[in-house]
Amino acid sequence: MSDDRFEQLLREAAQDYHRPPATPHEELWARIEAERRRRRAAPRVVGRRPAWRWGLGIAAVLLLGIAIGRWIRPAQQSTAPAQASSAVGARSDLGYRLAAAQYLTRTETLLTGFRADARAGQLDPQFVAQARDLLSSTRLLLDSPAGRDARLKSLLEDLELVLAQIALLPAVRDSADVELITQGMDQSSVLTRLRTANPAGPAPVGVQGAL
Amino acid sequence: MDERDLIARARAGEPAAERALYDAHVDRVYRLAYRLAGDDDLARDFTQETFIRAFQRLDTFRGDSRLATWLHAITTTVALNGLRKVKRFRTRETALEAADGVAANKRTAEPDLKTRLRDAIDALPEKYRMVVVMHDVEGYTHEEIATALEVEVGTSKAQLSRARAKLRAALADFAGEWVS
Repeated sequence: MSDDRFEQLLREAAQDYHRPPATPHEELWARIEAERRRRRAAPRVVGRRPAWRWGLGIAAVLLLGIAIGRWIRPAQQSTAPAQASSAVGARSDLGYRLAAAQYLTRTETLLTGFRADARAGQLDPQFVAQARDLLSSTRLLLDSPAGRDARLKSLLEDLELVLAQIALLPAVRDSADVELITQGMDQSSVLTRLRTANPAGPAPVGVQGAL
Repeated sequence: MDERDLIARARAGEPAAERALYDAHVDRVYRLAYRLAGDDDLARDFTQETFIRAFQRLDTFRGDSRLATWLHAITTTVALNGLRKVKRFRTRETALEAADGVAANKRTAEPDLKTRLRDAIDALPEKYRMVVVMHDVEGYTHEEIATALEVEVGTSKAQLSRARAKLRAALADFAGEWVS
């Protein structure tokens, strides 16, 4: 078969490839208008100056350490002093909690900086490398005892997606790619969930002391 | 009314002008989105996002290209990013077939040529599939594709050539039916 013949037949047959239905004009316009209204009404978060980021990161270490401790092991607060075997388990879990706290702190710092830089239109290439690094930690945490907690697991899974998107950003970035990532972050509220994970009740002493 | 006037009025925030621009371009945007997505919900999402972005950024449209070309560039960006997300989600749940999953000599229980062609196009690497859909399916010129995908015209031609070679290989066992 000649190339010309193949191309002609390809074009003919390809007309059926994902053949679109009639355009839903009015329905689409209504959706566009509604979404634009919603976005106009949504409060915009003002980007913080870089000088505040480290302070926020340090504060986040404290808050998240407490939060993770409360989150993962609320039941253990009320138990009596453990026997030797359970003490070993507690120490082991403490390691996972610390790892999770550190991971969440680093991730929050990264995402906060990423979003602020994305808005400023000046993205630090370091974000991609950091996201790759954190991505492997996410998977490890998901597979660890920390991943057994349903809320933490859900958060980790959402963070995994966001970090994967940042890690896969090409060297020559399309601002639309970056915008889609920040939109995804907003839609899944990952930063809010990171920052507000602060359940009621006293934190385990071990965690506070360790942090 | 002249499109430049409509753009100027839309930039000034006139809803009727925005609607007129939408009416003039939504068919091609939706068609392209649907061809790329193969799914009505996704096509609607991509079309919606395309117009929202376009209206947001209308001030940045300098008029170097036609408005249609500019809109199609936004559509392809939105669709590509959206499809990557969808693919990532799906990859988590099930292992997708490899890009070369439609083997050249694997004649399955699905003998229909169009179905095989659809599967073969779906299995193309994304950048090849994009060019095939835009050029061979939707009839865009290489110049339009190059602008939309932000590549050189030669790159668009080369990718189409490679894509067709892959399709030929994937459909080799149908050669007799193509000829007949």
